[in-house]
Amino acid sequence: MTSRPARLTDRYHWIQRFLEGWALFRESLVGKIGLTLLVVFAFMALGSFIPPMISPMYHPMTGVDPQISFSTGPSFRHWLGTDFIGRDILSQLLAGARVAFIVGISAAFMSIVIGTTIGMVAGYSGRSTDAFLMRSADMIMVMPTLLVVLILSSLFGQLNIWVIVILIALFRWPGVARVIRAQTLSLKQRPFIDAAKVAGAGHLRIIFRHIMPNVLPLAFLYMTFRVTSAIIIEAALAFLGFGDPGTVSWGMMLQWVWKTGHMFQAPYWLLPPGICISMITLSFYMLGRAMDEVLDPRLRRNSEAG
Amino acid sequence: MALNRYVALRLGQIIIIFFIILTVLFVLFRIAPGDPIERMVDPTMTPEDAEILISQLGLDKPISVQYLYYLKNFFSGNMGTSFHYGRPVLKIILDRLPNTILLFTTSIMLSAFFGVFLGKIASWAKGSFKDTAMTIGALVCHTMFLPWIALLMIWFFAYKVGWFPLTGMITPEIWLDPGSGSLKKALDIIHHMILPLGTLFLIHFGSYLLIMRSSMLETLKEDYILTARAKGLEEKIIRNHHAAPNAALPVVTSIGLSLAFSINGGALTETVFTWPGLGRELVFSVSNNDYPLAQASFLLIAAVVLVANVIVDVLYAYLDPRIRY
Repeated sequence: MTSRPARLTDRYHWIQRFLEGWALFRESLVGKIGLTLLVVFAFMALGSFIPPMISPMYHPMTGVDPQISFSTGPSFRHWLGTDFIGRDILSQLLAGARVAFIVGISAAFMSIVIGTTIGMVAGYSGRSTDAFLMRSADMIMVMPTLLVVLILSSLFGQLNIWVIVILIALFRWPGVARVIRAQTLSLKQRPFIDAAKVAGAGHLRIIFRHIMPNVLPLAFLYMTFRVTSAIIIEAALAFLGFGDPGTVSWGMMLQWVWKTGHMFQAPYWLLPPGICISMITLSFYMLGRAMDEVLDPRLRRNSEAG
Repeated sequence: MALNRYVALRLGQIIIIFFIILTVLFVLFRIAPGDPIERMVDPTMTPEDAEILISQLGLDKPISVQYLYYLKNFFSGNMGTSFHYGRPVLKIILDRLPNTILLFTTSIMLSAFFGVFLGKIASWAKGSFKDTAMTIGALVCHTMFLPWIALLMIWFFAYKVGWFPLTGMITPEIWLDPGSGSLKKALDIIHHMILPLGTLFLIHFGSYLLIMRSSMLETLKEDYILTARAKGLEEKIIRNHHAAPNAALPVVTSIGLSLAFSINGGALTETVFTWPGLGRELVFSVSNNDYPLAQASFLLIAAVVLVANVIVDVLYAYLDPRIRY
C-alpha cells in the first residue's frame, strides 16, 4: 500500500465536518438571507467609526450642529435627520449597531460558557450535583429577566453596560445548560468515554477533552438564539430608561423619541432604530434556524418522507 | 402518579421558590449601596413618624431578627407605604393585579387560539404559497421589537386615524357618570384594551403558529392517523378531531416556557400604553425610587409567574396522561 501525504482534513476531523456543514448551509435560503443581513449590520457597526472622523458634528452623543438644535427631517447634511438636540440620527444608528453586536455577542458568549460548563458538569456528575444544578436552573428560568434587572437597577443605581451584559448572561444560562446536559447524558454512555476512563483519564480531562468538543456545535447553535434575546433585553432596558446613559443603543434612541414627545412628528427618528432591532433579531434567528438544519439531520427538508 | 399529587407537588415547589425569592430580595435590599433604612422609610417623613416605622419594621435590631420581622410583616399584609402615593402598598398592588391578569390572560388565550388555528391551516397547505407566507409572517412578527410595535400602533391607530384612545384603561367621564351601566363600562375597557391586546397578540402568535405547524406535520405521520385513514374516515375529520388536538400539546408547553418572556412583554406593553397594571407599576416605582412599592410589585409579579407556571404544567399533565412525574 503506498502512503499518501496526510491532508489537513484527515488530521482534524472537525475541519472536514465544518466544510460539510458549510456546504449544507449554503443551500439554505433562510441561512443565506440571515447571513447577508448580518453582514450588512456588521458593516454598519464598523462604519460607526467613520462619522465622527468626518466632523465632530456627527458624533452620536456629543455632536452639535451649529446650525441645527432641534429635530429635523432627512437632509443632505444629515441623511436621516437629527434628533431633538441636533445630533445626527444616522451616526447614532451606526453606533447602535456596534453596541448591539458587542452586547449581544458578549452576553451570549458568557451565558454559553456558564451554561455549557454547568450543563456538562450536571450531566456528567449525575445524582445530587445534577439535581441541585438543575433545580437552580429551573428557578432562574422562571424569572422574567427584564423585571429582575429592573429591580436590581433600582437598588444599585444606573447600571453600566457591562454590568447589564453580565446580568443578562446570569439569567440566560439555564436554557443552554439543559440542552447541553441532555447531550452530555447521551454521550456519557458512549464507549469512547469508557475507553478514556480505562486509560486512566481523570474526570476533568474527560469532560473537557472528550465531551466538550462534541457538545460545542450545539452550544454555538444556542449562542445565536442567546444573542437575539440579549439584544432584545438590552434594548428593552434602554427603552424604559434603565440602560447605560453613556451608550447609544437602538433602545436608547427609541427612548429619546418617546420621552421627548417626538413620537408622532418624527417618523425618520422613530422608524430606523426599531427596524434595525427587529431585523437584527430576525437575521440571527434565521442564522440559528439554518444552523439547526445543518446540525440536526432530521430537520432537513429532503429527508422528510411522505 | 395521580393528578392531585402532581398538583400538590408543584404547589409545594413554587412555595419554596417564592421563599427563596423573598429571602434574596431581603438580602439584596440590605447589601446594596446606600442606606437601607432610607429604602424602607420615606425620607420625607418627620423624625417621630420615622422612629415609629423603624421600630415597627425592626430596623434597629440585628439582622436575623430583622428577617423575622420582614417575614411577619409580609405575611400579615403589611408591605409598607408607598413613597409616591402615600398609601399602603398592598392595596395599590392588589388594585393593579386584576388589570394585568385581564390583559395577560386574554392575550395569551387569543394568541394561542389563533396560533394553533393558523398553524393547523399552514400545515395542511404545506409548501404552498399560503404556507410560506404564513410562516414568514409569523417569523417576522415574532422577531419584531415589542415597544417599537407598540409605539407604531399608537402612532397609527390612535393618533393618525383616531380609532382608539391614546392611553389608559378607562375613560373617566364614562366611569364617573352614574348613569352609565355595566355594559357601557365594559365596552369602554374593551375599547381601550384592543391596541395593547393587538400588540401582544402580534408578538406572540407567531411562535405558536410555527410550533403548531411543525407539531402537526409530525403528528400526521403517526400510526394512528394511518389507521384512521384505513378506516375510511374523511380527511377533514382526521385532521380536526384526531391530529390537531394532539398536535396542540407542544403549544401548551411552549406557553409555559415562554411565560417569563410574556411577562416581560406585558410589562413593556403596559408601560407604553399606560395600562394601569403591575408591570407598569413596577417600572414606574423603580423610576421614582419608591422602594416599598417596587419590591412589592416585583414579589406579586413573581408570584403570578410561579402560579401561571403551575397552571400550565397541570393543564399539560391533565391533557396528556402520559406525562406524570
